[in-house]
Amino acid sequence: MSTPTSPPRQDPPADPTPVALRLPAHQVSPRARGYWRLTAALATSLPVIGLAVAWVLWGERPWWFTLLLVASVVVLLVEVVVMPPLRYRIHRWEVTGDAVHTRSGWLSIDERVAPLSRVQTVDSSQGPIQRMFRLRSLTVTTASAAGPISIECLDEQLARELVADLTAITSATRDDAT
Amino acid sequence: MSEPHPPPYAPPHPPPYDRPVDRPVDPDDGWTRLDKRMLVIGPVRVLGQFAFPLLLGFIGIGTQMGPWALLFVPIAVVAACVLGAIPWLTTYYRQTATHFEVRRGLLNRTNQTAPLDRVRSVDQTASLLHRVLGVTKVEIGTGVDDSRITLDVVTAPEAHRLQVALLPRTAEGAGPAPTPAVGGGEAAADASPYPPEAVPGAPVGVPGPGAEQVLATLRWSWLRFAPLSLARLAIVAGAFGAGSQFFDDLPIFDTEHASALWDWLGRQFLPLLLLVVAVVLLVLWLVISLTGYVVQWAGFRLVREPGGRRPGDTSLHLRAGLLTTRSVTVEERRVRGVELVEPALMRFADGAELSTLATGVENGTTKVLPSCPLDVAVAVGHDVLGPDAAAAAPLTTPLVQHGPGARRRAHVRWQWSTLIFGTAALAALLVDGTPGWAPVPVVVFFAVLGVAGAESSYRNLGHALTTLDGRPRHLVAGSGAFARTRTVLEAEGVIGWVVEQSFFQRRTGLADLVATTAAGGESVRVRDVDLGVGLRLADAATPGLLTPFRAAPARAT
Repeated sequence: MSTPTSPPRQDPPADPTPVALRLPAHQVSPRARGYWRLTAALATSLPVIGLAVAWVLWGERPWWFTLLLVASVVVLLVEVVVMPPLRYRIHRWEVTGDAVHTRSGWLSIDERVAPLSRVQTVDSSQGPIQRMFRLRSLTVTTASAAGPISIECLDEQLARELVADLTAITSATRDDAT
Repeated sequence: MSEPHPPPYAPPHPPPYDRPVDRPVDPDDGWTRLDKRMLVIGPVRVLGQFAFPLLLGFIGIGTQMGPWALLFVPIAVVAACVLGAIPWLTTYYRQTATHFEVRRGLLNRTNQTAPLDRVRSVDQTASLLHRVLGVTKVEIGTGVDDSRITLDVVTAPEAHRLQVALLPRTAEGAGPAPTPAVGGGEAAADASPYPPEAVPGAPVGVPGPGAEQVLATLRWSWLRFAPLSLARLAIVAGAFGAGSQFFDDLPIFDTEHASALWDWLGRQFLPLLLLVVAVVLLVLWLVISLTGYVVQWAGFRLVREPGGRRPGDTSLHLRAGLLTTRSVTVEERRVRGVELVEPALMRFADGAELSTLATGVENGTTKVLPSCPLDVAVAVGHDVLGPDAAAAAPLTTPLVQHGPGARRRAHVRWQWSTLIFGTAALAALLVDGTPGWAPVPVVVFFAVLGVAGAESSYRNLGHALTTLDGRPRHLVAGSGAFARTRTVLEAEGVIGWVVEQSFFQRRTGLADLVATTAAGGESVRVRDVDLGVGLRLADAATPGLLTPFRAAPARAT
């Protein structure tokens, strides 16, 4: 895993004309960390609690069961303590006049670029927990099922404005977009 | 949704929705029924669908009631006739000035509507039964996934009329004037129930009005690839697996008979026995594979004919099949790429298969050639990609390999099976009676297989970008382990990029570069490419798209 101080991207090796992408300009809302922490805790704590209950009830438990419980607790800690800030640092987005560029993930990193001329729909969504944190996710789809671009956990207000902007830009270019 | 009331909107004509279904439809509305022969095909299809449960039912009842069970046969037949007649009674279709509409269903009324300008394909399929009755099944594709409009039974002239009316051929207008095929020296034209309207062997080149250009027809020498196609072997094995359940019930296939037979055979000469079994299996495989190839591809013909929405548009038209004839049309304007596959065994006989990647077609990958020689597949592939593709030669251009990092990752990926099966073999040692050497052959087998697979997949891995006049033309991605796959996507077909880096890829500076597209499988993946090389490829394939996001060139580590 990359340490917090190392640059988030590896540089390409020596190459006659190096091409590297810079980081997208904007970060998502800082409240996203809290949202990710809460959802990860909710999702991961269920199996941990189940295992813990079984560990207590099972009198003569084998050694590997203890190991399993410890491992699940470690996963929970990583998901709650390490993941949110790491993910917050990695998630970035940018919309220029003619393209969208996003970066997401924490262990694996995805970078996506799509030209606005090929965008078909601009959707935004907000789950109940996101509403608690006043966050909103935005999804831009293209004609390819492999190509939807989402920007997770934007500030609610910003997301609404961005949807309006993107819709205005994309409706100006109406073609088959395939 | 089973309301018997008319839908809430009001069409200009009084809709026939609430009309008793047995009254003849008012032709003024333009609603047409399927052909009457649906009344034959429907019941047969119902019987076919329920053949297995019916058979089991009869056997079950027969064991208890004896010959009285035969009384149920007419009941089943009558039920099938009634059920099978429903589609004919309840299905109507019509074409208005703007739309093609189908409504069907007795309880679940469905109404499918396709705007005429969205119709992208009109395909015909005729099963053996269809052909005996002289009708065909028409499928109308609108480019929206999973929503093909199917007309089960229409007459051949009506199918042709629909094809012409829904896919207007700009060259020949809307005149449905099918002239019978002249001669057609190929075995190709013979197996086709509805011969093409133009003369085979029309002038090659840019098709003129009404002309068609033959891209490929079946050569019987291609049959040599049939036994090498392992995909069919998998199907046959599956069928045998299902069939073996039947054999269990037959009296002569019980274990007693089998072991007696085995004992008798064992007293004979064992090596000879094995040889005979091998030869029998081989002959059986030859017969099955050759038959399958002939049934599927007899009369194969791939032609380019004028047709499409805009003047000058052309379509690829494929026709094949011995018993069930398929007829598939792909608008060439929508073809964004091709995929060339050289399957494992066929590779050594220089055989290949070709598919087109098109947008707006359900399941955008269409196989347009049977197993055929590589040079034929390459030539047709280049032809399909457009007039300038042969100069760019995306199907033959050498690929850039991805280097030692990618090779290492291939080896690691392939050794997972060694780890898993090796662990399982070690765990088996805990069971009493397993000889101590047992894990050794398992590990050796999977390790060797893994090395071979990794080396092979590394050799097939690669990418290329063809350019013409300084403009990017095709993105080429090589993949596959034992089968060699080359995916060619036109640069204009790329509608975005995804750079995926897993945790381990980030440590080695590799990435998966995915070009997203609306055609075919919706994405083309260049696996385990060096990040810088991959970004350069993406930048070159779509000039300008990545420019605003480029980093300043000099960045220290």
